[in-house]
Amino acid sequence: MAQSAPPGRSPVTRVSVTVLLVVAIGGTLWVPIYARSMPKLGDFPFFYWYQLIWLPVVAILCWLCYILLRAPRHGRGVRK
Amino acid sequence: MSHVNTVAFTILVVSFLAVTLIGFAAARWRPAEDPMQLNEWGLGGRGFGTFVSWFLLGGDLYTAYTFIAVPALVYAVGAAGFYALSYTIVVWPIVFVFAPRLWSAARAHGYVTLAEFARGRHGSQGLGLAVALTGILATMPYIALQLVGIESVLTVMGIGARTGSAFVKDLPLIIAFIILAAYTYLAGLRAPALIAFVKDTLIYVTVIVAIIYIPPRLGGWGHIFGAASAHLKTVNPTTGKPSGSLIVTPSGEWAYATLALGSALALFMYPHAATGVFAARRRDVIRRNAALMPAYSLVLGLIALFGYMARATPAVNAGVKAGGGNSQLSVPLLFEHMFPSWFAGIGYSAIVIGALVPAAIMSIAAANLFTRSIYTEFFNPTATPAQETRVARLASLIMKVGALGFALELNKTFSINLQLLGGIWILQTFPAIVISLYKSWFHRFALITGWASGMVYGTIQAYRTPGGGQAHFGASTAPVFGHVTYIAITALVVNLVVAVVLTLIFRAIRLPNGYDVTRPAHYSADPVEGPAARAGTPGA
Repeated sequence: MAQSAPPGRSPVTRVSVTVLLVVAIGGTLWVPIYARSMPKLGDFPFFYWYQLIWLPVVAILCWLCYILLRAPRHGRGVRK
Repeated sequence: MSHVNTVAFTILVVSFLAVTLIGFAAARWRPAEDPMQLNEWGLGGRGFGTFVSWFLLGGDLYTAYTFIAVPALVYAVGAAGFYALSYTIVVWPIVFVFAPRLWSAARAHGYVTLAEFARGRHGSQGLGLAVALTGILATMPYIALQLVGIESVLTVMGIGARTGSAFVKDLPLIIAFIILAAYTYLAGLRAPALIAFVKDTLIYVTVIVAIIYIPPRLGGWGHIFGAASAHLKTVNPTTGKPSGSLIVTPSGEWAYATLALGSALALFMYPHAATGVFAARRRDVIRRNAALMPAYSLVLGLIALFGYMARATPAVNAGVKAGGGNSQLSVPLLFEHMFPSWFAGIGYSAIVIGALVPAAIMSIAAANLFTRSIYTEFFNPTATPAQETRVARLASLIMKVGALGFALELNKTFSINLQLLGGIWILQTFPAIVISLYKSWFHRFALITGWASGMVYGTIQAYRTPGGGQAHFGASTAPVFGHVTYIAITALVVNLVVAVVLTLIFRAIRLPNGYDVTRPAHYSADPVEGPAARAGTPGA
């Protein structure tokens, strides 16, 4: 997973991208943290609204990673 | 179900005709300089930007499985069926990680399929063939499943219900498929890419309306969850256990997580998913879409909740029972009983067109596999691009006829079993593709043997798993050391262990390895210009 960033990125970027993606992947794979009915949101048991809320969260995390990896845009020609 | 609903039927026919026109017109969309290139027919010219790719991937990956099978599972067993949501959440960060490398390598070498990558990376025709055959084998029942989805809509609409002739009953499905085959033959990937706009719009409209309109009519979400929970607690007389639960039980957590992870890792090993990736114009398009696709997963999550809505509707429960306990009918029945007939027609159209788009892309992807990794590789190494395109077009027809045969001739349980096996099989190509994107450490023969071990283990294990009233292929999970685990994941572990051990042995005895045609720079390549001219046969 750590190799998600192409070589040449700063270590800070690589670590942040790795952490963000691990959080995004782990958030719904770690079932015990959300396999419960309380607290409810409206009539929705926790199990359901937690997973539904993860969707925008994952979208934002992926977008952040995209921004982080895209940052040195003017360097593209050199990077190849 | 006793009579055909004229209004709903008319709307379905009109949408189908509209989509047919779009399908044929797609041949002239973004016209190619030379349409007789496999890049053009099979990948739409590799020119789709973020916007088109978003619709294409959504139309491609969220299939009849999403609209019919997932809510049917939730209807039947409750929370355990929601693994599909977790799976479609987890898949996007995973795709974010490896798909850009895959795209770059494919673009740098002009690859149209995953099998060509495995072959080029490891210098092994055998490995390329293994990946291609697995892809074709797993895709066939997946296409058949799209047909089963369309069939469930037709059944609920009462089409062909009162005729005794099997041929007349299947006629609408056969006609729909012939038309689909015709425009796919002509326009290639451009057809489903353009139709995907219609599909996605219909799906979004149907789901948003359903989620706003239906719950108040069923007494609110509190009542929907209450009714579902009450049903799930009732003890099934044949098993002596409750039929499911509203929250995943501690003993079901491992199965839930491995199903989600295994399905997510497997998804982009499917040929049609790879086609969606390779058709992108730029490397960035993949990453942007990994961030944008969760919008579609939200739709999947809401559709999964339809299963509970259906459970809270007495008329649906009666209809499912009348249909021989076929829970696949629950969503079409929900539309029939909850919507005015014109809007039910929109909902049916969404499901039918929603099944046609992936069926088209799957047949194109399988045809690409056959052409590049079997026809060109073994039978005609000097094939011209025009010859390849002709072969691929024909192969897409054969693929569709085969899938139609599957859906009509073989019984439904069999095609669903095969679909289950397909998921187990396709994950066995993971080491040869995703791990190989990072390291070429594995020995080619070790990868092939690992693949074969995973295939054999997975097939036997699935065969030995009873469930749902069947002695074999009863479930996709089986206990391993006391933990119920997705069989695909266990098989992948077997596969990896074999591949690692054999690689160590083969290296120790200096067994010659294949020649890797890729270079490190190929994995981050991002050419701005059009695709590299096809560099001869793959790996040449």
